[in-house]
Amino acid sequence: MKKIIFYFILTSLVFGETKKWDAHSAYLLPQKRWEMGLFQPFRYGYSESIEYSVHPLWFFVMPNFSLKISQGDFAGFTSASQYKMVYPTPFLNMIAKKGTMGIIAPEFQMPPMVGLSVSWLMSKTIFPFAASPYSLIGLDLTLKGGLDLGVTFGDLDTRSTIDIPLVYHRLGVYYNKWGIHTGLDVQKNLTQKFTVLCDLDLKFLPGLAEVQIDPDASKLKGEYSLEHKLLLIWNKSENFRVLTGYKFVMGEYPYGSDMRLLPYIPMAETWVPIIEFQWARKKR
Amino acid sequence: MKKFLSILGVLLILGCDPFVTEFEDSSDAVMYEANSQSDATYDSGDVKVVTWNIRFGIARFSFFGDSCGDDVILDDDTIEKNMEAIADALNAMDADIVLLQEVDVSSKRTGYMDQVQYLLDYTNLNYGCYASMWKADFIASDGIGRIDAGNAILSKYKLTDAERIQLRLRTDQDELTEYFYLRRNIVKAKIPALTQGTQDFYAVDIHATAFATDDTKQKHIDKYVETLAEIHAGGDGDLFVTGGDLNSVPPGSITDFCESDMCDGEDYHTDEAEEYHKEGSYFENFEGEPDILLPLYDVYNSAIDSASYNLTEHFTHAPSTSMIDDTTATMYDRKLDYLFTNGTWSSGSEHTHQAAWELSDHLPVSAVLNLGGE
Repeated sequence: MKKIIFYFILTSLVFGETKKWDAHSAYLLPQKRWEMGLFQPFRYGYSESIEYSVHPLWFFVMPNFSLKISQGDFAGFTSASQYKMVYPTPFLNMIAKKGTMGIIAPEFQMPPMVGLSVSWLMSKTIFPFAASPYSLIGLDLTLKGGLDLGVTFGDLDTRSTIDIPLVYHRLGVYYNKWGIHTGLDVQKNLTQKFTVLCDLDLKFLPGLAEVQIDPDASKLKGEYSLEHKLLLIWNKSENFRVLTGYKFVMGEYPYGSDMRLLPYIPMAETWVPIIEFQWARKKR
Repeated sequence: MKKFLSILGVLLILGCDPFVTEFEDSSDAVMYEANSQSDATYDSGDVKVVTWNIRFGIARFSFFGDSCGDDVILDDDTIEKNMEAIADALNAMDADIVLLQEVDVSSKRTGYMDQVQYLLDYTNLNYGCYASMWKADFIASDGIGRIDAGNAILSKYKLTDAERIQLRLRTDQDELTEYFYLRRNIVKAKIPALTQGTQDFYAVDIHATAFATDDTKQKHIDKYVETLAEIHAGGDGDLFVTGGDLNSVPPGSITDFCESDMCDGEDYHTDEAEEYHKEGSYFENFEGEPDILLPLYDVYNSAIDSASYNLTEHFTHAPSTSMIDDTTATMYDRKLDYLFTNGTWSSGSEHTHQAAWELSDHLPVSAVLNLGGE
């Protein structure tokens, strides 16, 4: 424990590059600035080198916490490490029930589980023909990768998986015990007010491609998912912005391959654009 | 910009499959073949036909949906054993044509086993066609999750012109429930090998509504009668064998099973009861329901004739949790499953396979059809 505290103190001395509205990147929030969105976590710049975040709405049913720590320059990139912890058990047990919104069959009791994730993020501006961080010419590139661990304290029945895109591979780490993730983000300022963000993320659960269920038969479990997002962002001010776009998910699942454009409204059988509002302030 | 729009167009097409699959009034059934085919060339002679609601291979599992059970998802090993037992039973019957109801092909509740393919691969049947009655990416209720379940026709001989005929949806449900609910159907296929002279030969399989309290069951039987009449009147009076789970009792049967099907904590037949009758256990929801099968018995030949259809030895169903006492299950207490033809059944060939009661909450019914005038 002492080593961990020492490590955090040490890394907090390494001042990182800060940027507003860059949750996905290795840039940290400026000190004392907070940002939050309808669907995004609350983020707070604790210092120039430490940023933390929580999903406030989820917190009471799925306690979660994330820490991003600047790691200075690495191979010409601004670098940061990110640590996440989530305790999904209360929420999963809420939806393991009879009737409407019974997402998991009621016969399953989910044991205490903790999700741990560590990521390495590297960002830089490529084609930096102009020096300003809001240059209309350059592209902000972020590369990331990391390890996910799913620690369970009890029997987790493999039939209790939620087999839908976006969810299956996030919870799959508890069934597989571990997984890896990697991805890249590209962001470009189109004008002073408009930005476009494009990302691609791979989630991989090694060993879940096909599981041998008996000497004669194997069963598909679903090893990977690929997620891609494209967002157009209107930066009204330093303190408010609106985002719209889509998310596309494809992967292997226990029932086979699947892909889905999100958000999707079942009864209307149509995709609708993401609408996200985000706010920010600087604490005095 | 054009490239971006093209990519977005592709994503829209690929990523926007309907969440719940709805069907046209008539559509193609899904065709199957056994991975290794057994030799079954029809030369002449009789044809054995079986109808069986196999309850998606969960046997007498206390499933929440149609009994007093609380459970939803059975383990893979048990499903495999149940399906093996069903395949063994079908092999022992040595049927030429099998009409199945409640078959899962890609459902969370049965480990995504394709049961049509399984039965083709582990029986002496070679060809199949399948029509979904419940197909959704995710049912967010009771942990059902992904589901694809329906009716199937399996045959030793090649099937062609397989058609899924949509039956009317229930009208006693709210819009949201109806959207996620079952879309029952008739599946019909031609079997060219069994053509008799100029008469084509068809197999027709149905699973009619169980729980509707409006006139949906009448509409289902009407559509069934209409479908059979079209075959009967078609060409030179084409031939058919048909059957399925009609969820209707024979004329003259008891019509009220509410008390025997009642679960702990339920209350029926009292003024305080939320519903006076239990859905699926009462067969007089509308005028004429007790005699709803008369048009079939009047026009076509039933494997189990009217002199026998109310005999205990031909009962085909009891809910899986229905008990006589604390330790004795009710194996069967009513008849819901039928076989008909516009040809002729071989006298004495009819059989209700009550020994198979542990393999489903419905029992198979079989009979031999006389073909070729033998």
